[in-house]
Amino acid sequence: MDKLYGYVGKIARINLTDGTVSIIPTSNYVPKYIGGRSVCNKIFWDEVKPGTNAFDPENKVIYMTGPTTATGIPTGGRTVFTSISPNSLPEQYAWSGIGGWFGAEMKFAGFDGFILEGKAAEPTYLYIEDGEIKFLSARNLWGKLVHATQRRLEEIHGQDVKSIVIGPAGENLMRNASVTTSNDNVAAKAGLGAVFGSKNLKAITVRGTGTVVPADINKVLELRKKMSHPPMIQRPIIQETHHGVPGAQSEVSGGWQRAQVACSYGCNQHCMCLMLDMKSAFKEEKVNHVEKCVSIFAFGFSQDVPYGGPGGVGGVFQTEQNHYPACKMLSREVDPPDTSDPYFELEFAPGPGDILDFWKHDFDKGNVINDLCNEYGIDKWDVIIWLLPWLSMGKKEGVFADIDFGMEIDVESEKFVRYLIDMIVYRKGYYGNLLAEGMARAIRVLGKEKFGDTIYHGRYSRMIDKQLDLPISLETAWGHSVHWQGRGFEASIAKPAWVATNLHQMTATRDTQTIQHHHDTFENYLQLKDDPCRSVLTARGVIMGEHKAEMKDSVTCCDWQSPDLFWTDMEAQMFTAATGIPMSEEEMNLAAERSRNLFRAIIIRNYERTRELEVNAIFPIMQYPDPWGETVTWDEWNDLVDLYYAERGWDKETGWPTRETYDRMGLKEVADEMELNGKMPLIKK
Amino acid sequence: MEDNTITARTYGRHIVQVPSDVSFCAGCNACEIVCTLAHDGVVGPCYNRIFMEKGTHSMVTVIHSCQHCSDHPCYEACARKDHAMCLDENGVVYINEENCIGCKRCIKACVFDPPRINYVKSTDKSKRKAKKCDLCRTRPEGPACVQYCQVSCLSLSDK
Repeated sequence: MDKLYGYVGKIARINLTDGTVSIIPTSNYVPKYIGGRSVCNKIFWDEVKPGTNAFDPENKVIYMTGPTTATGIPTGGRTVFTSISPNSLPEQYAWSGIGGWFGAEMKFAGFDGFILEGKAAEPTYLYIEDGEIKFLSARNLWGKLVHATQRRLEEIHGQDVKSIVIGPAGENLMRNASVTTSNDNVAAKAGLGAVFGSKNLKAITVRGTGTVVPADINKVLELRKKMSHPPMIQRPIIQETHHGVPGAQSEVSGGWQRAQVACSYGCNQHCMCLMLDMKSAFKEEKVNHVEKCVSIFAFGFSQDVPYGGPGGVGGVFQTEQNHYPACKMLSREVDPPDTSDPYFELEFAPGPGDILDFWKHDFDKGNVINDLCNEYGIDKWDVIIWLLPWLSMGKKEGVFADIDFGMEIDVESEKFVRYLIDMIVYRKGYYGNLLAEGMARAIRVLGKEKFGDTIYHGRYSRMIDKQLDLPISLETAWGHSVHWQGRGFEASIAKPAWVATNLHQMTATRDTQTIQHHHDTFENYLQLKDDPCRSVLTARGVIMGEHKAEMKDSVTCCDWQSPDLFWTDMEAQMFTAATGIPMSEEEMNLAAERSRNLFRAIIIRNYERTRELEVNAIFPIMQYPDPWGETVTWDEWNDLVDLYYAERGWDKETGWPTRETYDRMGLKEVADEMELNGKMPLIKK
Repeated sequence: MEDNTITARTYGRHIVQVPSDVSFCAGCNACEIVCTLAHDGVVGPCYNRIFMEKGTHSMVTVIHSCQHCSDHPCYEACARKDHAMCLDENGVVYINEENCIGCKRCIKACVFDPPRINYVKSTDKSKRKAKKCDLCRTRPEGPACVQYCQVSCLSLSDK
């Protein structure tokens, strides 16, 4: 291939064991595998065999930009890591998206991505500048907090460098440690910060003076206009008096200031909320920090976030007039709803959230929790949505009566929260060491029946005026906690939406959100709402969402922009503008399906994934009622799984893709290997 | 940071960042990106003619742009004045890159810190050129950075 527009042409293979670097042409993978996650999947399939564990030197961290990265195409600055996740249970291949400016700088330095292999003999960081990669000692960085590490790297290499770093959590192999880049953008899901730690890799710092050339500049500028809705409005710093989302707000004494900031290079969404002058966990002076959706719950968690609707469908099932992705509402960036929409009342009718009573609003304590997670480098979701509610509910139900953490459990106390997180990050004592292994593993060691399944009696549904069962562990599947699954403890969404979300997670290896929020059209909702588990539309909606997620992580773009259900070839247009390679919507869907099935092949080959494993992993969480008292039955769920597998071209008994399915997307060599491994479904005559 | 000793200078029309209580810069880099796309058809920091200073920790972004000094020291310092560094009828200093020899005198002459003139650090010495804001003087829509700023935090000064 003569010229790869949109890409810079090289992937670096970086061996930390022997300090060598070799170069792989990007054209070995693209355009068949678009970029981002789809290239990562291909590399992992080729190079990491079954039996490899997350902290083995043989595990690889694969990082890829996409064809849109640093081309000026909006939201293309997001990039992706894949590796074996230490936080998944069991450890499995997983992915994590990240924003920031690191990906664009990698391209300016001449690399579309890198493969990290082996393990450095001592704490190390990489310095990359214009095609050269240096292995430098990180002895003086090891132990530093995230921002201190970033600052020190800027002192050493200049203000222009862009870095990804781990904090003490990653160094100490805390299984949900994150990798952090500028503006507190993190690759948090899957715990890849701990994989960095296991490789003795503290940071990667990059500076580039090269260029990226998009194929069609006029189209890039057109996309900047078209994707930028609402257009050209000014965004001043705003003085707020309350904090939270509509329906779950609390007054803040003295108020606070917020601004909107972009998450990544070239972003047009600027949907992240920047909180100015907040209390720090480590300094006397106030600090700014970016609030993402999970941060909201740190401040106060006494009631669920209601999404309303007849069933709480707002933001999931969308009409053309009101098609705002649900979590975009958190940024307060969207226009007011269009009340002339004939489905307006069905979409936006308010409903009260469940009473939970985990902890009352405390603005300063919430800021301290967020700062602790930012500076130690921890996935906030696990701390705020799993660890702290578990302690809150378990304390109230008396399950911790015989546990001595060294300080009385009190999630309302800033002092306790500081003590607890410090204890875990530095693996202090028996319980610090245990909880650093992640909630799923810790609960199993302690005894799942008591420490996971005990029912909390403090949840009360105002939708149906009734106390509802809730286990003290909010585990969903694969070692990850419930994430916006409408179960009534972090956003009420109706059954048609949450069965879809659970189907997403069933076939994943980690929490599928946020890069895979479920979306579908309101027209489909009206057809499937009465029996979502027996409607093929639910399965098709999930497959559409999964393909859009593959595209988002491959092209790359972002969950706040995509999917746009009413501009369905947007990602194909982005790809074509960047690369000059014509790509239709159908071809883009096939590329996404190829990536998805390659991921499927990895988890079947490397982790023995089967239908039985999947159904058993996800089914328990759906036995706890949503705010309307709804659950799914075994038969309902299995009927939906049948529909989904059939639509996928996967065998219903095993959950494995058929040869015909692999062949249809050009994965013959994958089918051949699967057949050799006995992982091809038998053809019934 | 800008040098306070130069506050007595006078400037021509130039790109200004509006105060954050009017519109807070989202730090999206759109101004840099559309600038290089409009002028050079590429994206790359060495081609920027407008510069973002990101607060990695404060998360507050400051935009640096050429102030179009009335006494244009960069123009005066140019080794190939009126061939490489040129002055148009509206007092806008622009670079005719065909004639730029990449001597960096203009960058050294810039009174601001950081300098508001960029420099392509190409290994091919024939491609080393200075890059400077020309207010998109030949672009009918005016400066691309202003046109494409997502939050309208950039505008042209009134001078």
